[in-house]
Amino acid sequence: MQEHIQLTQKEINRELLRGIFVWPKWWFASVSFLILVFLVGAGAFGYMINKGVGVTGLNRPVFWGVYMVNFVFWIGISHAGIMISAILRLTQAEWRRPITRAAEVLTVFSLMGAMFAAALVHTGRPWRAYWVFPYDFSRGVWMNVRSPLIWDPSAVNTYLIASSLFVFVALLPDLAIVRDRSRGWVRVMYSFMCLGWRGTPRQWKLQAVAGILLSALVLPVFVSVHSIVSWDFAVQIGTEGWHSTIFAPYFIIGAIHSGVSAVVTVMVLMVWLWKWDNYLRPDHFDAIGRLLIVVATTWFFFFFLEWVFALYTLEGPEIALRELQIFDWPMSGLFGLFLATAFFIPVPLWLFKRVRRNLLLMFLTTLLVNVGMWLERFLIIVPALLRKSPMIFDWGTYRPSIIEIFMVTAVFAWVTLGMLIFSKVFPLLPLFDIKESMVGRDEIKIGRRTVPASIRE
Amino acid sequence: MQQKPSLMTNGASHAEHALATPASITSDLLEKHATPASAFRWVALLCTVLVVLGVVGVVLRMSDGVSDKTVWGYYAALFVFILSTAQAAPMVAIATRLAKGHWRRPISRIAEMFTAVGVLNLLLFIPLLWVLPSLEDGRRSLWFFGNRDIPGYGYAPHLWATLALLFLVIGGIAMLWVSCLPDLAAIRDHSTGRRQRIARRMARGWQGTTRQWEMLDRRVGILGAYYFMMLVFVHFLISVDFAIALVPGWIDALFPATQAFTSLQGGAATVLLTMIVLRKAGYREYIELDQFWSLGKLLMAMSLLWFWFWFSSFNILWYGRKPNEQAVLDLFITGPYFWMFITTFMLNFVVPFFLMIWNPIRKSIWGPTLVASGVLIGTLLDRVRIYVAAFSIPGEDAAAHLLEQSPETVTPELADILIWAGGLGGVVLVFMLVARLVPVISIWEQTELLLYKVHKKFHRTEVLVLGKPE
Repeated sequence: MQEHIQLTQKEINRELLRGIFVWPKWWFASVSFLILVFLVGAGAFGYMINKGVGVTGLNRPVFWGVYMVNFVFWIGISHAGIMISAILRLTQAEWRRPITRAAEVLTVFSLMGAMFAAALVHTGRPWRAYWVFPYDFSRGVWMNVRSPLIWDPSAVNTYLIASSLFVFVALLPDLAIVRDRSRGWVRVMYSFMCLGWRGTPRQWKLQAVAGILLSALVLPVFVSVHSIVSWDFAVQIGTEGWHSTIFAPYFIIGAIHSGVSAVVTVMVLMVWLWKWDNYLRPDHFDAIGRLLIVVATTWFFFFFLEWVFALYTLEGPEIALRELQIFDWPMSGLFGLFLATAFFIPVPLWLFKRVRRNLLLMFLTTLLVNVGMWLERFLIIVPALLRKSPMIFDWGTYRPSIIEIFMVTAVFAWVTLGMLIFSKVFPLLPLFDIKESMVGRDEIKIGRRTVPASIRE
Repeated sequence: MQQKPSLMTNGASHAEHALATPASITSDLLEKHATPASAFRWVALLCTVLVVLGVVGVVLRMSDGVSDKTVWGYYAALFVFILSTAQAAPMVAIATRLAKGHWRRPISRIAEMFTAVGVLNLLLFIPLLWVLPSLEDGRRSLWFFGNRDIPGYGYAPHLWATLALLFLVIGGIAMLWVSCLPDLAAIRDHSTGRRQRIARRMARGWQGTTRQWEMLDRRVGILGAYYFMMLVFVHFLISVDFAIALVPGWIDALFPATQAFTSLQGGAATVLLTMIVLRKAGYREYIELDQFWSLGKLLMAMSLLWFWFWFSSFNILWYGRKPNEQAVLDLFITGPYFWMFITTFMLNFVVPFFLMIWNPIRKSIWGPTLVASGVLIGTLLDRVRIYVAAFSIPGEDAAAHLLEQSPETVTPELADILIWAGGLGGVVLVFMLVARLVPVISIWEQTELLLYKVHKKFHRTEVLVLGKPE
């Protein structure tokens, strides 16, 4: 990192704890607005429970609409944390340090949002959500383990637990710092949460080992979650466009594309809102921009394969579906928008270093990616159901109702709200990690050039 | 350099035993390059004999004609095996250079030298163009989806696959050449006679100016990215037209990506085995534990991914219970190649993962080498399983929607054994020939490491500080 700024530990504490101890006006305004949006969504949810799912646009044959799209989208975003934290930690990428916490927290709130979108809303009868658990031994009722809809909650819950642990373990040293700077009941609360952290060599060693172990263990969970979400669709043989072997890797790489883009969006917001530009330097955006080029290109390759093999089948219904996606309005418009925003606008722009180092452009392009990735899920799910299939006597169109739009918006509000509230209670930038990088950082003179260096074991 | 006992490391050697000055590294590596190990000639002779036997095998195979593609299955498997191992080996250099891993330096040249094997594989590919029937038999193809009115239809897939392979080989050799320029200049400046003349011609006036170094850095990066994309593209073309299209009812969008990915595993294993041979051939102080350890970690990660790629396909084909998909599973997994599949599964996933999970095995020289040997055997069996099975489908079934019955297991004939021996001998021979032209350890990358490495005092201990240029 050529643009490194060396700061003292006191300066780091002061600047990074500002998020907790200072209450800016924009924070109250944003949180109030988001709570309002969330409450509107909750009201819409209550209304749907009271009146039934008929108040949505869902009907024969489109039973899976924007709720399902939302579920897949937020599961996708949740892949950011592990991609950034676990993989970059295992590969010892130095530039990961200021980004990891925000990415991990985004994972946790996205997963909660996905569970809200799927378990509580999408099922239509949330009071029966416990049916996915083995709840009644005496009656001999057992959930159907052959159903992907049972695999989903198992995978998502495991991922949520693992991600929360991941965040918590990495938080311990920082919680102790907050504890030492607070008083009264707040101090008691942080004392309780930091589990008696004193910073002894043994505690540091255990914390480091736990981080590496969790990184390695959470990776298979991370892969399994979106694979299983993709199998909700791919194991079916009755719906054109879904039964494809490529779905698991295609969903995973799409999730990483979407998730890492979301992390960049959050990074820019952290610089703009908390003025943490001493920590999130243009180099960080440059590095993550280069990563995004690789991820996006790989995603596009899988997208290409998915399309090639859809046409390769030479099956009438499959080709008719593809024609619906790219030639029939409004799907054709959405398809064009999806391709432009998910790949053709951002990736060529990211090829330029000046763009990768420009916060505003990175903010806009990564937002575009997520518009595109949301549309991608919509275009996978809805057109496939719209078409008339052999065993269906109804076909028609689908238009999300205002109730669905409120609830989808509420999930967006929930994730943003969660991030904002988290940032008031916990440090959003990992203090100990940044201090460690400051201590382990050095420079080497080679001729007239100075090359950044770091201590290696 | 003297080993500092107080240096704090986590078991890594960081090439501390290597020679300490650029001049001593250069002279040592040039000397090793000029005077190869005593066994070099004998191994080269043995490989030449194998290649001759291979040519005999090809002639024998040709004498059967090209109309019955069943007997060409093992030949096709050899071609894809080399594509999946030797031609994928350069990815070890490309990926680690992209990630700026310093541990790559002693092995990046080894990996890049395998690009030259592409020439051999390009020659091997030529007979397959006649063996693969034209699209007139009604089978599906990747190209134009059966629409014969589109111009260029008649050239598919033969011409396009050949062109893709040709561009892969050219790109690979260009990358090898560009990355060798500083070392060729070193040979030019430190040798006499024929060696000097060849090196002078190949070094293209390299003087080591700032501009030349900047261009080298940029060109190696661009050619590396190009090689990676072409490798994936070639795997895509070959896997579709030489495997999927031959099996009625096999529609597997993931298979091209699976073959491309598993070739990365094969490439890493190829480099690992070459490393152990070169250690025995006098490069012990350069190829150390770090290289085995790091590549071993990659192998472990790739074994997990191997399982994921396989399961992603298998789960969809198995769960749906569609007759055409059940037939495909029978052909490749539960039917005539069952034991081959089980062995591949063990050697490419179970053994690498469950052995390398243990620190003492992963952090050793023999552990990753053992696992790499298994991975190579597993990859070989996997390619045989897929391509021999695909080529064994009778031509008249090509346009069907479903494979009614799996053909019997095809066992190798004498010609196949000779071809395989010649092909593998040819790979080693090409590598050895390239090793006579350029040093197997990149001199400039080794000396560059010295610039980025500093020992510093840190509290009560001494640490290694490594520079990472942007």
